[in-house]
Amino acid sequence: MDPFLVTVWVVRLLFLGLLYLFLFRIARALVGDLRAAAREPGAELGRLVVVASPGGEPVEGSSLPLDAIATIGRDVNNAIVVDDQFVSAEHAILTFRGRAWYAEDLGSTNGTFVNGAPVEGVVPLGFGDVVQVGQVKLRLERPRPPTRR
Amino acid sequence: MTGATGTRSKPLGRTIGHVGLALTLAFAGLALGAGYWQVLRSPELTRAPDNPAVIAAARNVVRGPIVDRDGKVLASNRRNPDTGEPYRVYPHRAFSTVIGYASQDFGNAGLERSWNAELTGLSGGDAIGDLLRKFQADPYDPRKLTLGLSTALQRAAVAGLGDDRGAVVMLDPATGEVLALASTPTYDSSAIANPTTSRDAFAAVRDSAAKPLLTRATQGRYVPGSVFKIVTAIAGLGSGRITPSTTFPQQPRAERDGLLVSGFRVREHPGVPAETFDLADATEWSSNIWYALAGLRTGGDNLAAFAGRMGFGSQLAFDLPTVASQVTNGDGNEPGGFTDDVELANASYGQAETVVTPLQMALVAATVANDGALMRPHLVIATAGRDGSRSIAPEQAGVVFSPDDAAALTEAMRRAVESDIGRQFTSGADVPGIAVAGKSGTAELGGTGAPHSWFIGFAPVDQPRVAIAVIVERGGRGGARAAPLAGDLLALYFQTFGR
Amino acid sequence: MTAAAAPRLPAILGTIRPRPRGRETRLLLLVGLTILVGSVSLELAGRVTDPGESAGLSPANPTHLAIYLGLIALAHVALILSGRRVDQILLPATAMLGGISLLLMERLPQSQVVQTVGPWKLGLGDIQLAWLVLSFGLATVLAITVRNDRWLRLYKYTWAAAGVALLLATYLLGDDINGQRLSLSLGPISGQPAELLKVILVVFLAGYLSEYRPLLVEESTKVGPISLPPVPFLAPMAAMWAIALGLVVVQRDLGAALLFFTVFLFLLYAATGRLGYVVLGVLLFLAGSWVMYHLVHTVQTRVDIWLDPFASPTGDGYQIVQALYAFARGGLLGTGLGAGLPTVGGRLPIPAVHTDFPLAALGEELGMVGVMAILGLFLVVVERGLRIAASAADEFRALLAAGLALVIGTQALIIVAGNLKLIPLTGITLPFVSYGGSSLLVNGIIVGLLLALSDRGVEPPPPPRQPSRFARLTGRVTRPETPAAARAPLPPAAPLQPGGTEG
Repeated sequence: MDPFLVTVWVVRLLFLGLLYLFLFRIARALVGDLRAAAREPGAELGRLVVVASPGGEPVEGSSLPLDAIATIGRDVNNAIVVDDQFVSAEHAILTFRGRAWYAEDLGSTNGTFVNGAPVEGVVPLGFGDVVQVGQVKLRLERPRPPTRR
Repeated sequence: MTGATGTRSKPLGRTIGHVGLALTLAFAGLALGAGYWQVLRSPELTRAPDNPAVIAAARNVVRGPIVDRDGKVLASNRRNPDTGEPYRVYPHRAFSTVIGYASQDFGNAGLERSWNAELTGLSGGDAIGDLLRKFQADPYDPRKLTLGLSTALQRAAVAGLGDDRGAVVMLDPATGEVLALASTPTYDSSAIANPTTSRDAFAAVRDSAAKPLLTRATQGRYVPGSVFKIVTAIAGLGSGRITPSTTFPQQPRAERDGLLVSGFRVREHPGVPAETFDLADATEWSSNIWYALAGLRTGGDNLAAFAGRMGFGSQLAFDLPTVASQVTNGDGNEPGGFTDDVELANASYGQAETVVTPLQMALVAATVANDGALMRPHLVIATAGRDGSRSIAPEQAGVVFSPDDAAALTEAMRRAVESDIGRQFTSGADVPGIAVAGKSGTAELGGTGAPHSWFIGFAPVDQPRVAIAVIVERGGRGGARAAPLAGDLLALYFQTFGR
Repeated sequence: MTAAAAPRLPAILGTIRPRPRGRETRLLLLVGLTILVGSVSLELAGRVTDPGESAGLSPANPTHLAIYLGLIALAHVALILSGRRVDQILLPATAMLGGISLLLMERLPQSQVVQTVGPWKLGLGDIQLAWLVLSFGLATVLAITVRNDRWLRLYKYTWAAAGVALLLATYLLGDDINGQRLSLSLGPISGQPAELLKVILVVFLAGYLSEYRPLLVEESTKVGPISLPPVPFLAPMAAMWAIALGLVVVQRDLGAALLFFTVFLFLLYAATGRLGYVVLGVLLFLAGSWVMYHLVHTVQTRVDIWLDPFASPTGDGYQIVQALYAFARGGLLGTGLGAGLPTVGGRLPIPAVHTDFPLAALGEELGMVGVMAILGLFLVVVERGLRIAASAADEFRALLAAGLALVIGTQALIIVAGNLKLIPLTGITLPFVSYGGSSLLVNGIIVGLLLALSDRGVEPPPPPRQPSRFARLTGRVTRPETPAAARAPLPPAAPLQPGGTEG
């Protein structure tokens, strides 16, 4: 065995080994990601607490989880269905953009209000703000912290 | 993903997952493909002759030397001062038809070609061996080939053939080692191997009418003439149809008037008395009539079968490419493939459609010499590499006929050389002080021109050590050229190797 | 609270709010180490080889490696400074591929490609380094600056038109090489627009499929027992098929056609989830291929070579045969960087190894182990892209990310399969590894876009779009989000009584 050649081969094998170490580190990171994602199914972005709901739908006092886009209206296809005669079929939309929530009116008959003020265009929402559509009032709250298994 | 779309579809996350899975499976298929070519088919492809690694190795590897049985160098290497690439050098032209050449421009021929893998020492084709080889400074292990040839005999044979075309085969009947394998004309293999002169040398050789690239000893096809009678005798004795004392009552008349076989008259050559012969007489006198009768009695199937046991009808397994010898074209319907009795009768004394190579006839002589057992002929008797020397063991190819019959035939052949009668035909084949057995042959070719001069034989009669076959193309009668040359070579053998 | 204006986007680079990217740092260090060890290996190989055999080996140029690794480090720092929370694995994985490519281009004889620019004579390694620098630079710039996708999302038909125009321009004005018009030249720079076409196609498809997704999923045209995609949608699908065939017939660019069609089918399935469409697409493809085989001579040659290359080992089949020999010589562990590719008469055994068969060269020098590692790297890139797609904020981004990832993955798949004689050989490049400026640039764009899309703090999606006039005209769709809304019209909301809102 020629010692120089052995050295050369050690270097060559080291190269291949490092390549695989790299892949292994990435694989570990990927698996970690997957586990993290599995641990938090449906992490919430926010909740709506029903402050007032004379029509009974949604139930007063209940807490509704929110997706990144939540439509509010009387039509059954909305994310939040409101049974109130003063609410249009498609009344308002709440979107989570980047880091904050925004409310927008969808051309409803009676308009949408945030903390009493009418909504024109896209209006930012803070946690604790109350959105009113028709006679229903909904308060935006922080998401519940994810439960650990 | 949002539920606001209200679709019944699979969510986007799930379909994307499916796509990812499909792609992963496809990549797994790629990995399998890589494994197929890089592991499974690797040994076969790395040895393919047009694989550039093989070609590069051939260009740069110092080929193993080739030496004769005494260690004298027959092929060595020298480096081209300009390119640093090694090339072959061959000191003796007499070996050119055996060793061939290794040329970068024109490839390899002869032993350089058939033993190329060992001479260059390429990969053994097993993964672990290749793996270990990576750690060695010189990964190639070119092997040195030791041939059974004797330089003295080979050069004498070529010199003896002189300007005539022909071949000489000498071998040891007990082991099958080939002592001389001469074919003339020879050519300048060194000139072909040398890159500076290769182009012209090769053109000259290729265009020469004498076809020096044809190794006559193994690939020359000749009408055998009377030397074929030994084959007939072997077939007759081996099948039991003939005994050493068999006589044919119709022989005396036939000697005078010719033997009528189905309308064809077999004629004797002049000088043979009109008597009844037994095997030994007939061999002494080289009687066509007796042998024709013997052949007819033996039958075509036996003749073909026993000839086949000695290698007729197929290419002999040998270190060089060979050509099959035949007893008949085989397109007849009679037993053995003969067309009719006429052909069988003529074949029995070595005419008709019989065609032989000198190597084949040497094997016939060796069979008789070795008590009826044929040994496989081989040129290379040992190889040597990093792991030491490995010898090629003698190998018996088969038992052709019984030792008793062989003894009887040996005696017949001895008289053909040693007796006064025999000497008329085989003059010069005898060696003072050594009992030689043999048979001469004069192969008529029809038309004008001299016949081929043949001789096959072995010596000494008790415990033979060498068998020989000589043919001189257009040399005349057997006793004119072949027999004396054989005698000289046999004498040289005993001079070189002792009595 | 008054309705505040929508938050103004900060300046193009954003405020500098550095965010550490530890995982990326560690991975990039590993990349750097690996490439350095590789270059040492290459250097040692130069010392082992006999002078007679070294015609095919050029020494590693430490300056090139320094420039490359320095650039990657710069890109990393730029990403840290930008504060964007983009994927941390994409850059290391592609940097590793780029590094391997650089080592390969350094190792091959520099005279394979020579370009004179002013007083400088640039060889293979120089040019590849330049393109790698441009490519990763572009990727970084895109990753940092692309913050909204309106320009991609809104103008999909414009993009499609641009793509077709590019295709036509290449056909009409392109340089004729070997009967194919694939390159456009502008002065000293020439590129292959088909590469850019891939991205344009994906942008178009992402926009189209995301917009019509419900339509595609819910509706279908029934032809007997078979359900086809709805007729209005068939037109683009037929157009896709026609483009693919056109590329083959006119340009003889089998690889691009196969790539486009495969990506299209993948995206179609991703968007609709209907396997039936994919099956239909595959059948169409097979039918088209069969027709192509009998009509176009080059297709026939390629398929024949694929089936039995050893039948003409010195003629048509020479390239693939030599490539297979290279793979075989590599075995399990390879011959070592720089120790493979035995030269024949001073030339490399595989023609066009730097463009068509880099994997064969790497397979020979790094062995099966190395090939698997490279395949693994591509899988990582694809996986990250698909992850980005799966967690994208909306469908357009999801399909765009998926499409971009698929372009890289499918291209690698097609060319590696061709190298290994699993499918007929096509002329496309191996992303990041092959020599080729246009390919590197476009792959850089892809990676940059993927990184930009992966930002978890990216601008929110725009409000739901009005459906196109076309859809409203045909009356098949009212609003994509709520197709059922049209079925049961509700009574309008009663106007409020004054003073009825309080309480």
